[in-house]
Amino acid sequence: MEDYRGSCMREGGRSNQDPTGNIERAPLTIGEDPEEHVLRTINDEFGKSVEGSERVRAGLIRARLARDSLYDACKLLRDDLGFEHLSMISAVDYPDRFEIVYHINSYQSNIMLELIVKLPKDDPTVDSISSIWGGANWNERESYDLMGIVFNDHPKLERILLPKDTMYHPLRKDFRM
Amino acid sequence: MWINMGPQHPMTHGLWNLRVKVDGETIVDAEPEVGYLHRGIEKICENRTYPQIIPLADRLCYGSSLTWSHLYCMTVEDLMGVEVPERAEYIRVVTLEMQRLASHLMWLAAYAVDLGMMAGFIYSMRDREVLVDLLQSLSGSRLTYNYPRIGGVAHDLPPNWDREALRACNYIETRLKEYEDLYEGSKIFMMRNVDVGLLTKEDALDLGVTGPPLRASGVRYDMRKDRPYSVYSDLDFEVCSRPEGDCFARYRVRIDEMWESCKIIRQAIQRMPKGKWRTVAPRNAPVGTGLGRVEDPRGEGMMYVVGDGSDKPYRLKIRSPIFITVSAAPSMLVGYKMADVVAIMGGLDMCIGECDR
Repeated sequence: MEDYRGSCMREGGRSNQDPTGNIERAPLTIGEDPEEHVLRTINDEFGKSVEGSERVRAGLIRARLARDSLYDACKLLRDDLGFEHLSMISAVDYPDRFEIVYHINSYQSNIMLELIVKLPKDDPTVDSISSIWGGANWNERESYDLMGIVFNDHPKLERILLPKDTMYHPLRKDFRM
Repeated sequence: MWINMGPQHPMTHGLWNLRVKVDGETIVDAEPEVGYLHRGIEKICENRTYPQIIPLADRLCYGSSLTWSHLYCMTVEDLMGVEVPERAEYIRVVTLEMQRLASHLMWLAAYAVDLGMMAGFIYSMRDREVLVDLLQSLSGSRLTYNYPRIGGVAHDLPPNWDREALRACNYIETRLKEYEDLYEGSKIFMMRNVDVGLLTKEDALDLGVTGPPLRASGVRYDMRKDRPYSVYSDLDFEVCSRPEGDCFARYRVRIDEMWESCKIIRQAIQRMPKGKWRTVAPRNAPVGTGLGRVEDPRGEGMMYVVGDGSDKPYRLKIRSPIFITVSAAPSMLVGYKMADVVAIMGGLDMCIGECDR
């Protein structure tokens, strides 16, 4: 192939990454099931604030967490347990509470973690995790826009899908169509 | 100086706005703005019964509508605990891969015309027609198919459809070889692609980029292989990835995926069993949650549904891959020239329908 590098405008050029692109599927702890390991670590580190954890099916585990320890738990998940991809943040408006559901995926051990945080109706605020996963930024803005959840320390908490002067949060159940 | 590229701009492929801050010709900052096509689909879904949402899910993305209605059905099947007959799963895989081919061909056409290559546009759209015609003979419509159902597919394959599908595969494969020569033989195409829009592996993982852009940045992860759904675990195909992370790598990954899609269609048609293609799904869903996750042509599509025992979903959350990928655009754009914006954003395969929902 001809060399087309003359068009490169940024320092560095083509990166020298691992040419195979394979993900190293190293077991987190040898001899232990990775899903059990994740559940046990969360329970050990945040025992008091874990309100329940279970294995839903192969590859999917669920944990309920108090909102105060969300940030620390996410930091532990990314740095120590290898959850490098935040898939989705969903906010659900139940009659007595808000729930935020974080779906966090690990490419290494191929596990999806469903992290549920309960928020009271009169104070729907939670710490932002966009400094841990950059992908959380727009997810959180969307939850703020459509559901009115306030994320503390978010770099730019503005409406994203609706116009800036909208007065309501349409996915709340008290907003009638 | 801030420049608005959009909402009406030939580069945008739909209504969205890219604000770029330039210093001379060089981009120093960028900020995408979306929301022009927000239709409130998540809210509409809360007021519709479960089967009524299937055509709505189709309208999420005009480029690959079948993936979204399939994902919706998969999610609700997970919530209701419905088993899908094996023949229906094979029919779904065949149609999904055809949809992937059609979507990638439409991207290729738009990308060619972005980079000023009209011939590429005409050829790709002509060949996409073969697949769209097949899907039309199957479902009756050309863009939003409304074909999957909760618990199977709407109806069986028409007579001789499988033979026509195999012929279409052969046709597409001969054409793919021509595309490779046409595109990669063009010096201008190569100069505008190679080493443009670099996205490192670390950035891609941090910003939540999925699908072809992630695989082009050196992460070999494909849901069809690593977390198989439907009957993908029985089929033999390769995960396409490239280590470079530039626009050319993203183009190459999509071309390679089209070869693999042809392989998958052939195998699925050969292995397709006879039998039922649909089971009866209950009208009401139980109290609980369901999760669906597929490899959309653009990345990781996900839905999360909450059932409350009635015949309508309490909440349906949709994860759009492009919504997250476009939020990562600044990290690809900064440092390049204004003229590269078209190549970089075109290489992401924007679809505003699913992005704004």
